[in-house]
Amino acid sequence: MAFQLTAGSCERLDNATPSEEDVFNEPHTVQFLSIKKVNTVNASSSAVDRYRIIMSDGIHFIQAMLATQLNSMVQDNTIGKNTVAVIEKLTCNYVQEKRLIIILSLRVLAHSTEKIGEPKQVESPPDQATSVTPNTDTIQTSASPLSNVITKHSKPAEQVTSKDGRPSVYPIEGLSPYQNNWTIKARVTQKSDIKTWSNQRGEGKLFNVTLMDETGEIRATGFNLVVDELYPKLEEGKVYYISKARVNLAKKKFSNLANDYELSLERNTEVVECHETANVPMIKYSFVPLSALQDLAKDSVCDVIGVVKEVSALSEITSKATNRQIPKRELTLVDKSGFSVRLTLWGKQAEQYNAEDSPVIAFKGVKVGDFGGRSLSMFSSSTMHVNPHLEECFALRGWYDSSGAEQSFHAHSSAGGGASTMSFNRAEIRSLDDVKQSGFGLPDKPEYFSTRATIMHIKADNISYPACPTQNCNKKVVEDGGTWRCEKCEKSFEAPEHRYIMSLAVADASGQAWLQGFNEVGVTIFGKTANELIAIKESNSAQYNVLLHKANCNTYNFSCRAKQDTYNENTRIRYGISRIYPLDYKEEAMALRDLLYSSWAR
Amino acid sequence: MFSSDHDPNALSVRVNSARMPKFLNKHVRLPCKVLKLSGDTATVQASDGGEVNVHLLPNENITETYVEIIGKVVEPTMIQMLACINLGPDLDLKLVNDTIELIHDSRFYGKMFS
Repeated sequence: MAFQLTAGSCERLDNATPSEEDVFNEPHTVQFLSIKKVNTVNASSSAVDRYRIIMSDGIHFIQAMLATQLNSMVQDNTIGKNTVAVIEKLTCNYVQEKRLIIILSLRVLAHSTEKIGEPKQVESPPDQATSVTPNTDTIQTSASPLSNVITKHSKPAEQVTSKDGRPSVYPIEGLSPYQNNWTIKARVTQKSDIKTWSNQRGEGKLFNVTLMDETGEIRATGFNLVVDELYPKLEEGKVYYISKARVNLAKKKFSNLANDYELSLERNTEVVECHETANVPMIKYSFVPLSALQDLAKDSVCDVIGVVKEVSALSEITSKATNRQIPKRELTLVDKSGFSVRLTLWGKQAEQYNAEDSPVIAFKGVKVGDFGGRSLSMFSSSTMHVNPHLEECFALRGWYDSSGAEQSFHAHSSAGGGASTMSFNRAEIRSLDDVKQSGFGLPDKPEYFSTRATIMHIKADNISYPACPTQNCNKKVVEDGGTWRCEKCEKSFEAPEHRYIMSLAVADASGQAWLQGFNEVGVTIFGKTANELIAIKESNSAQYNVLLHKANCNTYNFSCRAKQDTYNENTRIRYGISRIYPLDYKEEAMALRDLLYSSWAR
Repeated sequence: MFSSDHDPNALSVRVNSARMPKFLNKHVRLPCKVLKLSGDTATVQASDGGEVNVHLLPNENITETYVEIIGKVVEPTMIQMLACINLGPDLDLKLVNDTIELIHDSRFYGKMFS
C-alpha cells in the first residue's frame, strides 16, 4: 500500500526558525528509515535510552530524536524500520546554534512497508550537517543531567567553538568536577542577601545565587572577599557568562535544587554580563494545583500560582533555634481547583510585601508542610513573582475577577495529614480496640490518634492537685504552714489554684481504655473549674456526688497521644488527652451521612 | 434486632411525605416543620418538602417550630397524631431527609428498621 508522505516537510523543518511555530504544530506524514538507540550515561549511573530516528518525507531525510515518553513505542515494536507515521507534535531545540528536532507525539499509519521514494540528505550549511551526526552517537561520561530536563532537551552537547570569538557556552547540565575549562551563560533567577555567621571556627559572610539556563539550574555561592567583588556585579534577572568557578558536590542541606553539583565562586571567577539573552529562558515553573497539594509529601518542594485572597498583618515569631525575632506574614492563596492554602513569608519578603488587592503571585521552590493539613512556606531560595506574564496568571486573573472572588474554598483541613496537629481528625478516627491492637505509643508506631468514646467512670480519689497560680506555671505547690509554696517560682501563695488531673475510664463499642486528662478536660466534663469543684466537695458532698454522676456517661471526641512509660518493671502505654471536644450532633451526623454515601459504603 | 413477628403496631418507622403512601394504616414518625396550626389540625412540612396534614389530639401542645409527630397514616397526606415530640427551633431538614432515605435503603431497612 502506498502512503502519501508530506513532501517538503523535512526541508521545512530543517530550515525553520523558532518563530515559525506552525511548522511544528501541523501534522507531518513521514517514514522512519532507521531507529537507533543512543545511550546517555550520567553520574548517577542510570542509563537513559534515547532513540535517534531518521525520518523521510520521500524527498529528503533528516535526523530527529524521539521524546523519552515515547520510548516504549520502540521497545514494543509499535514503531520500527520503515514505519509510516503522522508526527502530530514536535519541537525544535536550538542548542548552541544547532537544531535538534524532537518528536513529542505521533500516530502510526502502517508498520514495515517498503521504503518510499529516494530520500536524500537535506541541503544544509556544512558544519551543521556534519556535526549533528557525530554528536548523536557520543556517549557522555561525566554529565549529570536532571532527569526532567532529558525529556525537554535531547542530549547534553559538547562545547563547540562558534563563530563570534567568545568561548562557547557549556550547558549547566554538563557541569562536573572533572571539567574546568567551561563557560556557562545563565540568568540569575534568585540572589540571596549577604549572610554573616560566626561559630567556633571563625566568622565570615556569604551570598548565593541560583543560575539557570535552558538545560538546568545550579546554585553558586561566594564567601568573604568574593562577596565584596561579585555581590554588586550579579543582579537578579540578568544573564552572565560565568567561568572559572569551582564545581563541587552540592550540599543538599542548603539547597533545594535538583542538581547534584554546585558552584563555588572564587577570586578568579570571571563574570561578564551578556546582552544576547534570546535563548536563556526566564524562570521555569511547574505549577501544582492547590487541590493536589495533598498528594505531595511533607517537606517536598513545589511551585504554585494563585490569587492572594487574604493577607495577614506582619507578626513576629521568636525562633527556638536561634532565639531571634523573625518577621512573618501569612497569605491565603486560592486557585481554580477550588482549594485554598496558607503560605508563610519570612524576613524581608514579609516586611516588603505590599501588593494591593488580590494579585496573582507565582511562587517557585516553596516547601510543603503539614500544619493544619497542608501549608506552604518560603525558603530563603524561594522566589515570588507578582502578576507574572504567564498564561496561568491571566487565566487565574480572569477566573477570579469573574467568579472566583465569591467562591467558597476548601481549606486544607486536617483530614489527611494533620495527624500531628492537635485538632480533631474525623477522617482518621479510630476505635479503642483498633488503638490497642495497632500498638499506638510503642516505639516506631504513631503517637497521635482521634477517637470518640463515652465516659464510664471517673476515678474519684485524685481529681485535682493544688497548683501554682502563676500564669503558665502549673507546678504542684506544697502546703507550708498555712501558705502554699511553689518551688519553681520560689513564691508563696495564700491559696493555690486547683487544676484537674484525672483518670477516665472510657469505652466505645469496641473496648475500653483509661485516658489521662488535665485541667481543660475537667472543665469540659464538669462545666466548673477545679477550684469551684473542690469548694463544692467540701461544703456539700451530696451536690458533689450529683455533679460527678452527671459527668458520667457523656460522649466526647478526644484527640489523644499515646506514650510508653516504664516504672519499676512495668512498661505500660498511657493515653493522654490532648484535646477534648463535645459532640456537635449536626456535624457528626453529616460526617456519618457522607460516609454512608461514599464509596466505602457501597 | 427487631424481627418482623413483633406486633407491627409497636414500631413506628421514620418517614417523609413521599414514603407515607406505603405505610397506610401503619404507625409512623414524621419529623417536620410546623407551618400552620388551626384548631385540631396542623399543616406541616416533611423533611423532603412535601406538605402533610395532621389531625391533632385535643390537649397536645406544639410549642416549637420543629416537631416529630408519631401517628397513624390514615390517608396518603393525613396523619392521625398519637404523640408529638418537640425538637426545638433549629433542625437541619436536609440532614434528616438524607437519614430517612438511608433508613429505607434496601441494605439497611430489612435488617434494622422493620
